[in-house]
Amino acid sequence: MRFAATVADRRFRVDVRARSGGYVVTLDEQTLELDIVDVGGHCASLLVDGRSHEVGFERGDEGLRVQLAGGSFAVTLAGDTHQARAAEPGSGPQRITAPMPGRIVHVLVRAGELVRTGQGLIVIEAMKMENELRAPRSGQVSAIAVSQGTVVEAGALLAVID
Amino acid sequence: MKRRARAFGKILVANRGEIAVRVIRACRELGRSAVAVFSEADRAALHVLLADEAQPLGPSPAHESYLSVERVLAAARACGAEAVHPGYGFLAENARFARACEEAGLAFIGPRWQTIALLGEKTSARREAVAAGLPVVPGSLEALADEPSLRREAERVGYPVMLKAAAGGGGKGLRLVASAAELASALERARSEARGAFGDDRVYLEQALTRPRHVEIQVFGDGHGNVVQLFERECSIQRRHQKLIEESPSPFVTPGLRQQLGELAVALARRVGYVGAGTLEFLVDAERRPFFLEMNTRLQVEHAVTELVTGTDLVVAQILVAEGEALPFRQQELRQRGHAIECRVYAEDPAAGFLPSPGKILALRTPGGPGVRDDSGVYEGWTVPIDYDPLLSKLVVWAESREAAIRRMRRALGEYRVVGVRTTLPFLERSLADPAFAAGDFDTSFVERLCARAEPVGERPLALAVAVAAVRAFRQRQGSLAGQASADRGGSPWRLAGLREAHGGRLGGC
Repeated sequence: MRFAATVADRRFRVDVRARSGGYVVTLDEQTLELDIVDVGGHCASLLVDGRSHEVGFERGDEGLRVQLAGGSFAVTLAGDTHQARAAEPGSGPQRITAPMPGRIVHVLVRAGELVRTGQGLIVIEAMKMENELRAPRSGQVSAIAVSQGTVVEAGALLAVID
Repeated sequence: MKRRARAFGKILVANRGEIAVRVIRACRELGRSAVAVFSEADRAALHVLLADEAQPLGPSPAHESYLSVERVLAAARACGAEAVHPGYGFLAENARFARACEEAGLAFIGPRWQTIALLGEKTSARREAVAAGLPVVPGSLEALADEPSLRREAERVGYPVMLKAAAGGGGKGLRLVASAAELASALERARSEARGAFGDDRVYLEQALTRPRHVEIQVFGDGHGNVVQLFERECSIQRRHQKLIEESPSPFVTPGLRQQLGELAVALARRVGYVGAGTLEFLVDAERRPFFLEMNTRLQVEHAVTELVTGTDLVVAQILVAEGEALPFRQQELRQRGHAIECRVYAEDPAAGFLPSPGKILALRTPGGPGVRDDSGVYEGWTVPIDYDPLLSKLVVWAESREAAIRRMRRALGEYRVVGVRTTLPFLERSLADPAFAAGDFDTSFVERLCARAEPVGERPLALAVAVAAVRAFRQRQGSLAGQASADRGGSPWRLAGLREAHGGRLGGC
């Protein structure tokens, strides 16, 4: 089974085959033999070339997040329903979304207002710390989707800059 | 001040998370009955599970539950508690609460409310410190009401300045102001944060020392006139004034400075007739000159570091002293033995500017083995709420020397697994592996400096992560194909063919 994987802004061609209880995975030119056994619902024991690794994984917005001793990686596989979110600052309407679940403590701008890059838009509080979300670029605030006191989930739309 | 010793039958623990768990453990070891309190979000929190009894406080927001003097007192009445342990944060340094406890006939496990009022208000604490002969950081000795007077004071001491909540503590309501242009917006944020955290938005300012060390001294007094100091804790590894790593002894503190800090701390504690556990925070500049910063009239988050090097139990001592006993340790018996380090495991994402990361803990394994202590407030399956501080756990190690303690901490961090929420664990591992940390050569700018350096991505872990993700996707496809095939009893030939293809690994075009 073939995939195109994206991780840490790098792309890999990946091929997976089952072989004698384990898997043979080819990453570009590199071949790995994996012996992998689930440990609970979100961890696995991984043996590769006799080395033991403990792996944690969970589904996230950015694909599958895989955690091992050397770091934590968000891996997107082409064909996956969860695609990495794009929306780099640039032209076109800019959606300001909540970076984390929290509570809106201040809305610093009004719809229709002109804002400059870096200007504070909304203050969101989670876990007793206030975080000011700033305009990623200059433009006009075309919509404000929340008001003071609104409780939002991560990724919720807060405002749009045109 | 002498009181007759009388064991409390029942103690209300007016807090949540790891510190509530810590206090409940001490109560149970002493044979005192522990009563937890909980908000709606915390109905199934670890401290509720471990307590003997539990009382609901109300809705999840802290001001309607853990910060409500009336509701906590009502809970104490409802269960017939004789004493209240406030932990740290929430009502721990609220003189009105301590006074209300006293008036309700409840023993407040902490200093007298008058002491809390005197030292908890940061500007009067500064005035007391000056009177006790302690050097203080240059700045205002009064809370300043309006922006113009803050502006004048800032110009007098010179930028950069630190804006601080007069009722402050724990890094809340604290803002560094580099120049006059930043003052207005920093003031607004500091006020707003202070109002939320303490219900009091008065601020004052101090000169911001450049690259200071943050060193604190643990003190303890009883109602029999004894005051001792339990040496220093090094707390320079912090981010946004929230400590991340603490240790004792401090690699920076010389025997001479240690003695000086201890004497200064005891001088202030004696002057105010301090009863219970308290901590004096000092900034120490590059010339090893100490400046008194503030006194925390409560148990400190990082108290375990002191417990491990001095062989004491500070929470047990707090309870015994509140019951009227003399301190269970004397100054001449106290020694620093070996070395202890604490790492704070927060639900924050170090890869995303330490943004809070609440959510469900899908998998959790805590480290163990010799010299390792994990003071945690969570468990696997628990959903970390958005309403409170993101501290999950404090990992503390002890070893014979600093070098051995660093090795032990690195080993223990390597064992720690948390899946489901982002944590500070990767950042803690990086910090402990840093040569500057190993050399003891760091100040309060350590975290910022480490964050500024790009973290090298290992090729091997990256490849393994991709391989694991691909195997999981492969298995899921197989699983769903197998599921479809067995559900379809007619046995659609193309599905079965697809399944065979998948097993043979020749199904392309995914």
